[in-house]
Amino acid sequence: MSSTLVAVTGAMSQVVAAIAVVSGGLALAVTRRPGPALGVLLDLLVAAGLLRLVGDPDWQTIAVTGTVVALRHLISYGLRLGERSLEETPRGAPGPTTRPRPPRDIVGRLLRPAWRR
Amino acid sequence: MEELLQEIVNVLVVVVEACGAAVIIIGAVWAFLLFLWVGLRDRSTRNFVPVRLTLGRFLALGLEFQLAADVLKTAVAPSWEEIGQLAAIAAIRTALNYFLGKEIAEEKRQIEEDREAPSDAATDPTHHRRTGGSG
Repeated sequence: MSSTLVAVTGAMSQVVAAIAVVSGGLALAVTRRPGPALGVLLDLLVAAGLLRLVGDPDWQTIAVTGTVVALRHLISYGLRLGERSLEETPRGAPGPTTRPRPPRDIVGRLLRPAWRR
Repeated sequence: MEELLQEIVNVLVVVVEACGAAVIIIGAVWAFLLFLWVGLRDRSTRNFVPVRLTLGRFLALGLEFQLAADVLKTAVAPSWEEIGQLAAIAAIRTALNYFLGKEIAEEKRQIEEDREAPSDAATDPTHHRRTGGSG
């Protein structure tokens, strides 16, 4: 009974991994943004990894699944952080260090330095 | 008596793990169909978030079943190696469940913010300037 379950879930994990690749490719083709596509791919790959853990897996399977899950969270965290920083910066707005001073301001500072005010 | 208990627990573990696996498989296939539908119909990034939320809920539910099977397995775990493997699997599943819960909360918040954004934009008279409404 248990061996049948392991065989079925093993086969289904491969199906889910294939679904992950197709869905990730579709998301990339539709949105043209790697962030959401990678998120979709990783979510479904985690589902495939969970199916592989059903039954009595050996140490190698446990270690591989644990590493994949940890990597997946690291990548997702990095992606979310990157997206958030992109959203918080207005498009086309220069940062504080690159903003050029207006010419009138520069001339004013040259003619009337701070110590003369 | 002990052997009978072991037999019963083994059958229960298989049944509960099968339930968890079924939930995960159904969730993955359902999410795949939704991804296809959303991808081919709407073609926008925003609509992928609710689908990922649905998949996350299915995964969390499947994980709960699998954790229940782990708890049942602790009733009969004769060797130290089996106990170690069980602990490793339970740790992975528990950590995943915790992070999935956090992700679901985060994505829910994002969906609610997206819902609120259009109404804010409609009441804000300067919205068209900020979003480049001239084009």
